Amino acid sequence: MSIAQKRISRRKFMILAINAAGAGAGLLIAAPIVGSILSPIFYKSKYPWVMVADIQHVPVGVPTAYVVMVDQGGDSWQVPKVPRTVYVVKLNLINQVQLIALSNVCTHMQCDVHWDINLNVFFCPCHGGEYSMDGTNIAGPPPQPLFRYQHKLVGNTLFIRNVLVGGS
Amino acid sequence: MADELQRSALVAKLTRPVAGLMATTYRWVDERLGVTDLVHQLLYEAVPKRGAWAYSLGSATLILIVLQITTGMFLLWTYVPSTTEAWQSLNFIEYHDEFAAIVRGMHLWGAYVLFVVIGMHMVRTFVSGSYKKPRELNWIIGVVLFLLVLGLGITGAMLPWDQAAYWTATVVTHVVSYLPIFGTQVQEILRGGPQMGPATLTRFFAIHIWLLPALLVPMIGLHLILLRRHGEHGSWVNYEGVEEETEAERAKRMANAEAPYPALPSDPGYAVPMDLDEFFPSQVFKDAVVSFGLVLLIFVMAVVIGAPLERAANPAALNYVPTPEWFFLPLDQLLVQFPQAWMIPVGVFIIPGIGTTLLMLVPFLDRTPGRQPWRRPEVMVPALFVVLFLVFEALLAVNRLFNL
Amino acid sequence: MPLIASTTPQLTQVPISTGMATALVALLMLAHVQFAAWQQGGYIILAVSDFMGWKRKSANYDRFSKGLVTALGATFAIGGSLAIFAVMILFLGLWGHFYVDLQKVLFWPFVGEAAAFVGEIICLYPLYARWDRLGHVRGLRVGLELLLFINASLQMLLINVVASYMLTPRPAFNLPAILLNPTEIPLEIHRFVGNIAWAGAVIALVAGIRLLLRSGRRPELRPYLDWMGHYGLIYAIGFTIAQPLVGWEYAKEIQLHAYASWYDMMLGGLSVAFLFQVFLLGSIFTVGIFYLWRRVRASGFRSPALAVCTVLSFGAWLLISTPSSLAWSYESVFAANANVPIWQGGLLIPWGAMIPWKLTALVAFTGVTIVALTIYLKYASRGKLRWGDAGRGQAFSLIAVGISVSLIMALMGFIRESSRGPFLITNQMLINQQQNFSPPSATGPALNGPASNAGVSIILPTELHP
Ligand code: HEM
Ligand code: HEM
Ligand code: FES
Repeated sequence: MSIAQKRISRRKFMILAINAAGAGAGLLIAAPIVGSILSPIFYKSKYPWVMVADIQHVPVGVPTAYVVMVDQGGDSWQVPKVPRTVYVVKLNLINQVQLIALSNVCTHMQCDVHWDINLNVFFCPCHGGEYSMDGTNIAGPPPQPLFRYQHKLVGNTLFIRNVLVGGS
Repeated sequence: MADELQRSALVAKLTRPVAGLMATTYRWVDERLGVTDLVHQLLYEAVPKRGAWAYSLGSATLILIVLQITTGMFLLWTYVPSTTEAWQSLNFIEYHDEFAAIVRGMHLWGAYVLFVVIGMHMVRTFVSGSYKKPRELNWIIGVVLFLLVLGLGITGAMLPWDQAAYWTATVVTHVVSYLPIFGTQVQEILRGGPQMGPATLTRFFAIHIWLLPALLVPMIGLHLILLRRHGEHGSWVNYEGVEEETEAERAKRMANAEAPYPALPSDPGYAVPMDLDEFFPSQVFKDAVVSFGLVLLIFVMAVVIGAPLERAANPAALNYVPTPEWFFLPLDQLLVQFPQAWMIPVGVFIIPGIGTTLLMLVPFLDRTPGRQPWRRPEVMVPALFVVLFLVFEALLAVNRLFNL
Repeated sequence: MPLIASTTPQLTQVPISTGMATALVALLMLAHVQFAAWQQGGYIILAVSDFMGWKRKSANYDRFSKGLVTALGATFAIGGSLAIFAVMILFLGLWGHFYVDLQKVLFWPFVGEAAAFVGEIICLYPLYARWDRLGHVRGLRVGLELLLFINASLQMLLINVVASYMLTPRPAFNLPAILLNPTEIPLEIHRFVGNIAWAGAVIALVAGIRLLLRSGRRPELRPYLDWMGHYGLIYAIGFTIAQPLVGWEYAKEIQLHAYASWYDMMLGGLSVAFLFQVFLLGSIFTVGIFYLWRRVRASGFRSPALAVCTVLSFGAWLLISTPSSLAWSYESVFAANANVPIWQGGLLIPWGAMIPWKLTALVAFTGVTIVALTIYLKYASRGKLRWGDAGRGQAFSLIAVGISVSLIMALMGFIRESSRGPFLITNQMLINQQQNFSPPSATGPALNGPASNAGVSIILPTELHP
């Protein structure tokens, strides 16, 4: 009787131990994996300024595309810089000319938009999004205006960095 | 007794071509490994007699997945999962390694044919009501298999890292950013950083060649084990007249059922098909013909057309028009139709999510008594609309992209 | 690219004013479209009914198919002569220039069209004349009906090429581009499902009227007429389910490729017609679902789910019928500089806006109708609806749906044809004397209209000079 009882509790102990060992080993394996999966969220990114162009060459009212190598952020071990198109636009407002550096990444699903000279809009071929010259989304699925690169002028030379600010 | 006879006949058949020493060796191995028993178990099964060509779609799917895995393994002999070298390694294949180019072509066309065939398999099991008692769980496993195969298709399309691949990856990894609350984080996890980069490719590479196949293969195993447990249901042509049957006739049919029938629990009369046939060779013959035809088609397409490789990925290209893979056209079209901030998740998550959930729940939603499609209008009519919806969306997407 | 006039033979103009000619052509074409659409939709309903009668051995289906084939034969005779009359007399005589030019660009589609006409006669005549004898080989008869439907669909496809080309033309003499012009596939799908719905609506309408008029005198007809109304209505609202989706896409393609027409339809003078159109759409869905609910009730079943569907659909109907402003069109709102909500002294009604409200209503119609139809089919397929139970309310609902579909067909034709004005072929040919015309610019003048001026942004000076 007592032996049988003892046996059963021994049995129970072993079953418990099997479960605990399984769970423990699983946890030991899973913890670093989950950590590695989540790690991109905590990457720190640095974005240096890069030169774009002499703005004297940019005509007023005609979005002009420049391809620059920008730092792509994150923590990658190779190709830290990627080519990106920057649309430099001089907007002809009522009594002043304003300069913006538009990102050409569509705010819908991040395809590349281009300035369409026939339609007079930035056109996105992916789903037909359209933006006006200052980047305002005017038709199609895009939910926001085009983003703008942070920029600074040193004399007449335009510098940007890969930090996007909300447009309009 | 009959089993024993069958077994020794099988042993004799399997050893017939080899005499003497070979036969002795076979027997030695068989005694230790049980090859004959295994073959016996795999091949000698009862299957429904009528409509058998339609039931070869499942094994065609299986063969095509085996083909994908095989060709995929050998693509890895050359393919380098890196943003700088992936495109170059495939470009090398295209111009300097004709056989590898065929392997690559077969992997791509295999995937295309697979989508068609798995779709047909799904439609066929749906129309014949095969998901009904007791096969509900097998249908659900099937839906999971379908989603896994779709996932393999989309992750595979990202691997060449040409323009098409790059923009597919961009759009797919940006869709998730519209998830509520964690959107941005999930996107960063998938991309390995805030923007597309080298880590994006390695991630999707790992998902394509390891994560998803590691889920797919056991699920297929489960699908087939359950299939064997319940037996093939077939379709209404195998159950003509069950309603007029008397109790006695039905009882007799149940009693004479060959393994694995009767499939229980099931609706009265549907546990055993009216006429049975042998799985081997009758069904296997049809499976073999269909699968051979498909593999031949894939081979020919691979040789004649091959797999395209566009220019290397270039995030700054202005005149490139991204087009999704054809099997994702309906989803891409939904992106067009649900514009602006808060409606986008409706198009990308809510509608496809509801669709998938309903698809999974089909066995529980369909409470119709019969099996004939024309006696189940309340499932066939909505299903027809879903299919029409997908076809229309795809056509509209083609039209939109053609006229850009 | 303008169509070349120099090689066009000089045709003598019939002495009739252009306005009258236009009205005549328009009237005849509208009538012709309604006939042709009924024909195509009727063929597939015929094939399905005959198949169902065969497989389910149901007297209703058999009787219905026989009636339908007789009706289709008769209407084909009328509609066909109307078409020949249209081509021979009106187009050649009144709009010769237009017809010859179109013929040059779309030669092959027209040849195919004529061939399909012959095919239609070959398939339809035996069915019409030898229906019962063909019944001995039921499979053959169903096959012939399917062939008839495929033939009619091809015919529709070809004429849709012509119709869509007129709205969104592509470079002449580039056949693939012409065949797959931007609005071809949306129009194709739109009409494909629309025709089936229209045929269903005609059947429902006929059943509804006969229920009201005849059943007093011949009560033995009641069960059949009740069944026929139900059967037609399922097609009518079932296939209309696809319309919100396709219509939305159609409008998008027009926006992208024929902006001036789109502007006219959505924001300009035609926007009132468009509003009436979505009102009719809502009426088809709501009255249709109302019918489903009450028909189930008439046989003694309470279905709260169907009642909820009716209420939801009614809500969506109210939403979609709300005008977006108190003015005649958005254009005039903009002109009056009053594009702020009414409670701020403007003219806009925000929940009348297309995005997101009308879009939401369209999605709601689609979802609710699928659910309602599924629930209803459950009752019907379990034999719970006793045919003959339908009351006057159901008969009136059937008639209302039938009339709504008919009106919406005519209205859509009107909107599409007049949205191109003053062009007959967008940017290529004017209606007025059908002269040749060089496009003013690639996209028409309206692109620089009010929409793109919105939201000029001011950049902070600090951003300019850090
Ligand atoms: C990886 C993909 C798949 C493989 C390899 C596979 C394989 C098979 C095979 C070999 C059969 C038996 C032969 C036949 O009836 O065709 C079968 C039956 C079945 N499959 Fe699949 N299948 C796959 C995906 C699916 C999907 C996507 C569904 C549905 C959503 C599904 C649902 C079913 C059902 C319900 C049966 C039982 C048919 C019956 O008993 O009549 N399967 N499958
Ligand atoms: C159901 C299973 C699978 C499907 C549907 C599938 C689908 C695809 C697709 C559509 C591509 C893109 C081909 C192209 O655009 O050129 C691809 C590429 C690739 N797949 Fe798979 N695949 C499957 C399984 C596998 C497996 C199991 C492996 C590895 C063991 C693999 C390895 C690869 C490799 C290395 C590539 C890149 C080479 C290339 O693009 O041609 N695949 N796959
Ligand atoms: S990605 Fe630009 S519109 Fe969708």
